[in-house]
Amino acid sequence: MRVFSFHLMPYPGLPDDYDGPAWVTCPNRLFDPQLGSQLYNRYIDELVYAEEMGFDGVCVNEHHQNAYGLMPSPNLIASALARETSRVKIAVVGNALPLYDPPTRVAEEFAMIDNISGGRLIAGFVVGGGPEYYSFSINPAFAREKFQEAHDLIMQAWTQPGPGEFIGKHYRLRYLNTWPRPVQQPHPEIWIPGAGSVETMEFVARHRYAYMGIPYFHFSIFERTFGMFRDICREQGGYEPDPLQAGWLTPIYVAETDEQARAEYEPHFWYWVRKLLPGITIQPPGYTSVRSLQNILRGAGHFAINLETWDQVVDGRYAIVGSPETVTEILVDSLERLETGNLLGLFQLGSLPGAETQRNLQLFGEEILPVLKERFPDGAPMRAAARAATGADGVRS
Amino acid sequence: MAGPALVTERLDTQVGSIELQRGGPPDGPAIVYLHSAQGEGQSLMFLDRLAERHAVVAPQFPGFGESEGLDQIDDMDDAVFHLLDLWDRLDLGAPCIVGLSLGGWMAVEMATRYPDKVGALVLVNPAGLYLQGHEIGDIFGRSPGELARDLFHDQDHPVAQMMHALNELTADVGKRIEIPFEVVKPIATTLAATAKLGWDPYLHNPKLPRRLWRIGCPTLVVHGAEDQLIPPAHCAYYTEHIAGARQVEVTDAGHMLPWEKPDELAQLVGGFLR
Repeated sequence: MRVFSFHLMPYPGLPDDYDGPAWVTCPNRLFDPQLGSQLYNRYIDELVYAEEMGFDGVCVNEHHQNAYGLMPSPNLIASALARETSRVKIAVVGNALPLYDPPTRVAEEFAMIDNISGGRLIAGFVVGGGPEYYSFSINPAFAREKFQEAHDLIMQAWTQPGPGEFIGKHYRLRYLNTWPRPVQQPHPEIWIPGAGSVETMEFVARHRYAYMGIPYFHFSIFERTFGMFRDICREQGGYEPDPLQAGWLTPIYVAETDEQARAEYEPHFWYWVRKLLPGITIQPPGYTSVRSLQNILRGAGHFAINLETWDQVVDGRYAIVGSPETVTEILVDSLERLETGNLLGLFQLGSLPGAETQRNLQLFGEEILPVLKERFPDGAPMRAAARAATGADGVRS
Repeated sequence: MAGPALVTERLDTQVGSIELQRGGPPDGPAIVYLHSAQGEGQSLMFLDRLAERHAVVAPQFPGFGESEGLDQIDDMDDAVFHLLDLWDRLDLGAPCIVGLSLGGWMAVEMATRYPDKVGALVLVNPAGLYLQGHEIGDIFGRSPGELARDLFHDQDHPVAQMMHALNELTADVGKRIEIPFEVVKPIATTLAATAKLGWDPYLHNPKLPRRLWRIGCPTLVVHGAEDQLIPPAHCAYYTEHIAGARQVEVTDAGHMLPWEKPDELAQLVGGFLR
């Protein structure tokens, strides 16, 4: 399996008395550029530190006009990471394709990052969050069409010899001939984040990409979602999905003891829930098909924004918090049940300060990561029962 | 005089099967009612009143009610072509169009492009314009309760009450535990249909002002004096820029005037067409 350190780059400085949304209309006078300058550099350092701690990769993502995540351009951060790291995969999860017109820009910038990093890019394509359609005034009724078409355009740019032509409904390019071309051939690994939309799972299954369960749901929702994804791969794709075709995002915090971990982490977690999540769940009209809306709404009550008590956090595994032993135990059990070969950990969340974040990464890297690597060797099934059936070393007999 | 009640019919069109309400004396003056983004039409007392003397047709636009074909429609241009198709299939000639809000905008689009297919216009709190400093309020991303406050002067109106009751089903879907899907589905689909026509540019066509000169038919602009969604400057602009247009203020009425003042509006339309 592979372990990634995912950073949202949140803004920790919203005033105590601010109770509005963190998205779309959160007044930008609340952004302090002096603090911002420190944050960007600190957050980049935290991602770079993950390489030192033995992680397989780092993840960044794209959001606009909000305090939840300060990366309107994840590609800028990724290009800095391409220079500041030398080994880790750099996963941009992802570029919100309908927000790029023409999406040729995604093919170009991703190829640049792949070149600069020497072929370490993981290319994520995302429809964009609901708030983005307000922030960019992009018509959400065409979100899925544009995503699909932009994807086809980018893949053509990467895999077909140029100059070529791409004439679609939303994008029309008489000359598609992107320079540079990606180092990884035929193209970088593709990740698609999803919130439970059936169309997204079908799309990922069809192309044999990897499905990332990103939103912060109750663990049972993730179990259902990844189960659905595997079923779709089997029933519609006719193949058994590799565990590396799925990834699970979860906040993680490790300290010496369970008590210490909770005491240090809890206030920052609640800052994230109460200050940064409000506004994230807005569903613009036509953004989701009616079929998918039903599935998404079924999970809505289990979204982290509803959390009120720490017991709920623990019970639903909204965050994995505790001593190295506790966190290892919960993660092993979770990964066995989800069968996701990629673990995307959020080691900084909300207002968690730099010192705590760094120690969190260090403890995880030293105490937990090696255990997970040994427990879930590449190419082996992840479920305990399946592993037992094929031998303890995971080699299929 | 009690006229025949409106009946629901289905009609095959180029984009798919749609639903429409029809009623009134077939030889009476023809009126087409174009609904707002709320998709009103079913059990609309205003239409019953109109049907006492007029041949009323009230189509549900694709994506609204049980009408199909939204996948064939991307923008207002497609909407007008859909209306042309309806006109031909129903042999409507040059009827009076009564349009509310989004429907008023659609009526103006029809009348500017095909003036010979519109005999008269009644624009009730019409959308379609951008007037700096007089922006139309937001209908997307609002909770039903917030929307009800903008749409209704009378917050005790049954529809306003229903919207307040639905208030928990807000745009913020996360803040809810159990959501009855059958309640969410029609809201989601009508908003999606409206988004296709009016997300960007927001509920207007920048080219519309310079086309208004083409309208030559008798035009009545009806303004709900308490409309909180579309500022009064919009009605005033249409009245000023459509040749011969006349404006009427209806007091104690908000945006959803046909719901709030069915008798008064029916009398206004009847008097205007007489």
